[in-house]
Amino acid sequence: MTEVSMTVNGRPVRADVPDNTLLADFLRENLELTGTHVGCDTAQCGACVVHVNGRAVKSCNIFALECEGAEVATIEGEAAPDGTLSAIQQAFQDHHGLQCGFCTPGMVMSAKALLAENPEPTEAEIRAYLKGNICRCTGYHNIVRAIMAASGQDVSNIAAE
Amino acid sequence: MSYHRPQDLASAYHLLAERAPRLLAGGTDVYASSEGPGRPDGAELLDITAIRALHGICPSPQGWRIGAATTWAEVAGADLPPALDALKQAAREIGSPQIQNRATVAGNLCNASPAADGVPPLLVLDAMVETGSLRRARMIPLRKFVTGPRTTALRTDEMVIAVHVPASAGKGASAFEKIGARRHMVISIAMAAARMVTRQGQITEAAISVGACSPVARRLTAFEKMLKGTAATRIADLRPHLEQELAECLSPIDDLRADAAYRAHVAGALVLRCLARAASGATSQPESEGEGP
Repeated sequence: MTEVSMTVNGRPVRADVPDNTLLADFLRENLELTGTHVGCDTAQCGACVVHVNGRAVKSCNIFALECEGAEVATIEGEAAPDGTLSAIQQAFQDHHGLQCGFCTPGMVMSAKALLAENPEPTEAEIRAYLKGNICRCTGYHNIVRAIMAASGQDVSNIAAE
Repeated sequence: MSYHRPQDLASAYHLLAERAPRLLAGGTDVYASSEGPGRPDGAELLDITAIRALHGICPSPQGWRIGAATTWAEVAGADLPPALDALKQAAREIGSPQIQNRATVAGNLCNASPAADGVPPLLVLDAMVETGSLRRARMIPLRKFVTGPRTTALRTDEMVIAVHVPASAGKGASAFEKIGARRHMVISIAMAAARMVTRQGQITEAAISVGACSPVARRLTAFEKMLKGTAATRIADLRPHLEQELAECLSPIDDLRADAAYRAHVAGALVLRCLARAASGATSQPESEGEGP
């Protein structure tokens, strides 16, 4: 067991964990932040994407101990404390960018990272950036549309599915 | 499992000498290949990514020093001349953005997969691998560093400190191409890199490598020599010679991703595409000695 401390969604946290505890498990089991989903557990699907020091990473592919001292942001930090959705979350709801919702936390966190580095991405740029996030329900059309809308772009010419 | 995260090189060297741990530098290959999804256990792990001296790309009159723990996202975003474009293009195709934020240059080399995307571009850049330990420092040419599938010249007490691209390889332009079952999050079926320097439309220097078609990625030295003095627009005329060298030096395998015949075929096509792109980049440069670091 080793002590680890980090900041998660602005809150300092500290715990003793076995050395091989993955960040995804630390978030879900120790902090009970179960919004971060583990789909494949092998870094393929992207449902577990969170931000570490502002960078999108797959939390099933990094130890909690590698995040010592880091600023971690998860899907739980997206909505305001009163429940008001973030612009990206609202756009996913408005444009039906989800069906079962399992991939959605990772999609939203990846979209957030994309818009931070590219505030007005083209459809092609969005699709390229989401290559590490897999959705098995809706396909990607409405997800891409939601992200374009969240970035303030007009999506009225893009047909909904 | 016990996990070590030293803050400086000296501590890392001591841990290496005393405990012979497995090195962790981003870990995106380590987790994915572990028994029991995502949880390496049993071994001791030495995470080198907290050591500041191992991060970043530094230009100097001798060339470029790429710190061992530099991530592929950092490589993709670095200000580098067209000769290093192949490396930046490979950086953008490794895994996905989330993987590129964690995966490192040294990790890619030391994992020593025959399909490591970082190796062909670094081969055409004549890269040297700098290693360190308590006892010795070494500079090893990349072509001698990776010795086989999953094996390197690294001794148990050594670690990679940096990868160096010499200034002499900073001339011209380069390109990288890979093919997989889909564009991203795949293990490459075949890949190629090429770097070219031209003068008045004639090729004065060419470097070509092919990955995922032999136990270790290979340079095509005979075809490189043949290209010297050729007009950059006439490369395709030499295709039979390219095919001959590919047949002689590659040993593609049949596996679940592709069969050997497909790999052999596609390798030639990827090399020609890289050469065409490198030629276009090289001939559009001013007729100077290229950019220094």
